[in-house]
Amino acid sequence: MKSNGLPVIARKELRDHFRSRKFLLIFGIFLIITIIGMVSGAAQYNKDLQSYNDRQSVADDDEYSMGFGWGKPSIMSIYLGVSGLIVTLGAILGIAMGFDLISKEKETKSLKILLSHPVYRDEVINGKALGGLMALAIALGITFIVTFAILLISGIVPEGDELSKILVYGGAAFLMILSYFALSLFMSTVANDSGKALVYTLVIFVALMSMPMLLNGPVMNMIIGEPPEYPEEAICSNTGYSSMKVEYSVSSGDGVFEEPKPDPVWEEYQKRSDEYWNKRQSVSDFITLISPTMNLQTISYKLLIPDYSRMMSMAFSSAEHDGSEMPETDVFADIFKNIIALFAFPALFLGLAYVRFMRMDIR
Amino acid sequence: MITFDHLSKEYNGVYAVNDLSLEIPGGEIFGLLGPNGAGKSTTILMLTGLIEPTAGRCLIDGIEVAKKPIEVKHRIGYMPEDVGFYTNLSASENLDFFARLYGLDASARRSRIDELLSLVNLDGVEKLVGGYSKGMRQRLGIAKALLNDPAVIILDEPTANLDPQGVADYRRIIKQMAADGKTVLVSSHILSEVSMVCTSIGVLSQGKLVAEGTWKDLTRVLQGEQVTILVETRDSMPEFSHPDLITAEYSNEQHEAVITARSDIRDDIADTLRETDVMIRQLTLDRSTLEQAILSYYNTGDEQP
Repeated sequence: MKSNGLPVIARKELRDHFRSRKFLLIFGIFLIITIIGMVSGAAQYNKDLQSYNDRQSVADDDEYSMGFGWGKPSIMSIYLGVSGLIVTLGAILGIAMGFDLISKEKETKSLKILLSHPVYRDEVINGKALGGLMALAIALGITFIVTFAILLISGIVPEGDELSKILVYGGAAFLMILSYFALSLFMSTVANDSGKALVYTLVIFVALMSMPMLLNGPVMNMIIGEPPEYPEEAICSNTGYSSMKVEYSVSSGDGVFEEPKPDPVWEEYQKRSDEYWNKRQSVSDFITLISPTMNLQTISYKLLIPDYSRMMSMAFSSAEHDGSEMPETDVFADIFKNIIALFAFPALFLGLAYVRFMRMDIR
Repeated sequence: MITFDHLSKEYNGVYAVNDLSLEIPGGEIFGLLGPNGAGKSTTILMLTGLIEPTAGRCLIDGIEVAKKPIEVKHRIGYMPEDVGFYTNLSASENLDFFARLYGLDASARRSRIDELLSLVNLDGVEKLVGGYSKGMRQRLGIAKALLNDPAVIILDEPTANLDPQGVADYRRIIKQMAADGKTVLVSSHILSEVSMVCTSIGVLSQGKLVAEGTWKDLTRVLQGEQVTILVETRDSMPEFSHPDLITAEYSNEQHEAVITARSDIRDDIADTLRETDVMIRQLTLDRSTLEQAILSYYNTGDEQP
């Protein structure tokens, strides 16, 4: 005999979310602040565009092409203004949607009643997850439609490349919020009551938010050691970004200077320094992958302000560059691992919630 | 029909239910009696498929619960002791959600819900279930248990929070269900309540079934082949004589009597009083001694005498 529990439960959950004052309040704040951010961002964009056009009329564009902030303003910068809000309020929305989904059913004893009906146990947890996922998708869909409308009303029409970046950013934001929804749903299956589920989720949320910052300081030094010491015996130095290059030249007897040769001490230092900072960057990148919020921030920087992102990554590298042009990289390839991590996080916690719920003692 | 076949449930080495075998035929109202912790709720949870037995099996109409839970759940209606609903929905919305799980179409749901809310006197109550009293939730629980027109109705402490009118309605509904050929299993620790509606009972103590049978059989067994009848009349009553009468103690100028007999001779006493034009005020079977006898089982786990 077949059961139709999954669609019935998912539909009820979806309706419950949109009837929940908690959900509507947070989503309302989320939407209003996004609208305000987009409106002011669009106004700023138009102002920057006007300023850019004015500069174009008096100077050659090449003169201003170097560095961050001097090129033609990007539509993506409008979204950057609301990305911080999406990270914080989005995570709160995800947590608020999931933390009491199972624990409240245990508290009100409705879970026992529900499971005495012709439904399989996995349909209950899957239905709840699906209902939440649909509610999130609808909420974010509405938000992005509104942001597009604001762009169009402001006379800003994204091009194909910008549109695809906006869509990828929207998808990443959805996965980030889904990650916290999955985490709180899992905690809801673990905790005895909703209060504890919320506390557990918030503790992990704060830990995931602050862990990368904590680990980039002294904790990182404890993990991978101190950076190599600066060689005092190096002859001279010149600087560019964060890299440093030391060379020396030798005067021969006939008064002709030989080609400058690299100082071996400095070369050794540079090699060890590169290795150290690469290792540190790898650990930092890995830690970022664990945190959905940090992942979304990384994605938003790389998608929304790729010049700045490239400039920051070059600052950690001693690779030479002439300063006139930053290398173009494939943004989507660059954020691929972050996207995968954003898929993995909710998948992991939805899986854990499923296993925990299936083994739960219903008494 | 409900069948328990050597059913056991163990938690951390302690048996909540221990080798329970019992058969409850259709049309019967069976009372499962026992003190708190006797294993009544665990038995019911296994019967409803909410927990799995450690050993043995439960069957509903010959279908094993653990093997075909969905099929079984289509045939049962269950109301737990601490009945819980979605507090953010109204009574009809709650019932509509559960009716969808049974696969009822929209018109069938609407008519069934209206019928059941009327049956439990909750029709016209529009507020959310979060605002309901415990008694109202209990009434709604009874309606929910009947939603799918089940062949087997399982009720755990059904009158715990009901007011007198609610209790009367519950008795009427349950008796009607049994008359319609449905099997009703009522779990309770209130003997008087069970005695009012149940046609047979089983006594659980420390996970074991220590007594089982029809109410009449069990009365005879537990009272040692004796019944006690309390008689109260408006006029002085005559002294009774009956082959089954053992003792008769008269008091208050023959207006009251306590009679012990080998069988329930209330009908004969009533005939005698009618013949002598004595108005009857009370003619009841004294269940207090039966209650004491059943209570004596509660913490012993002894076998049936």
